[in-house]
Amino acid sequence: MVTDAEHMASGGPGAPEDTVDFGFRRVARTEKAGMVRDVFDSVARSYDVMNDAMSGGLHRLWKDTMVSKLSPRPGQHVLDVAGGTGDIAFRIVNRSRKGEDGAAAHVTVLDINQSMLSVGRDRALDRGLLDGLDWVCGDAMNLPLPDRSVDAYTIAFGIRNVTDIAQALREARRVLKPGGRFVCLEFSRVVLPTLRRLYDGYSLHVVPRIGRVIAGDADSYHYLVESIRRFPDQQAFTTMIEDAGLSQARHLDLSAGIVAIHTAWRI
Amino acid sequence: MAEPTAVDPRLLEILVCPLTKKALRYDREAQELISDAARLAYPVRDGIPIMLVEEARALADSEVRKS
Repeated sequence: MVTDAEHMASGGPGAPEDTVDFGFRRVARTEKAGMVRDVFDSVARSYDVMNDAMSGGLHRLWKDTMVSKLSPRPGQHVLDVAGGTGDIAFRIVNRSRKGEDGAAAHVTVLDINQSMLSVGRDRALDRGLLDGLDWVCGDAMNLPLPDRSVDAYTIAFGIRNVTDIAQALREARRVLKPGGRFVCLEFSRVVLPTLRRLYDGYSLHVVPRIGRVIAGDADSYHYLVESIRRFPDQQAFTTMIEDAGLSQARHLDLSAGIVAIHTAWRI
Repeated sequence: MAEPTAVDPRLLEILVCPLTKKALRYDREAQELISDAARLAYPVRDGIPIMLVEEARALADSEVRKS
């Protein structure tokens, strides 16, 4: 199925460019998805430890804030894309639950990477979260869900790894029901110049070293840092969301713009 | 561990072929989700449907059901 896979990864024949960003390098458009998958295969087992080490635990607050913005309710169906390890899905289920054993939201966790999904499902079992979650391997650019089928679409620290971000946003709109909510958490542009210089030094030089020590893998973390710096800033990403046909796109900076939450609606 | 992990039946109800967005058939024995329209069989591994075209198996003519 190589031909079809290439066809999909390239966004169809006649795609204007045949190379895309992979961190600071340019790679063949058709190769990026596989290369990103290798990065996450490599980091899956140490992913949560690394997130704590790199962000000083801040990623937990960012994710809590994202889910409180979503404000999920029992009975809603949420699609969490690139959600392999379950971090967002567990928060959604817990936050939506009314009472100790009450009804909760249902979350379909989708990730392109089977290693990440296996980690997430194991963690769900460890936490006794048996209901309300299902796990599917899939591609954000070609979602295996029908049109207008979900109440909310969430994606945390995932969209910058997608080969064609505009296509992923169009898919988000397609699967959302009218009135459905789009919520994205992603690294963004630090808005304070002094902090930006500190952050640049930290992310470019310190994070790969932490990656080497904790995860035994500096290269993957080089990729992660570089991909963060390549990602469009708050305004540019807001425009992309609206170009995909989603409405009322807004953003909220967290930690001075180290990350931002983008929200929008399908009207 | 003899039983393969079952796929959540609610999940089977909502999944569609990522290529054609059409409904799928579940072949429990083969652990595959079949898209007749795309002529592809998506594997289910350890209870997780793998809805990636590059992981799918091309169907032979005899396997395709006409609707």
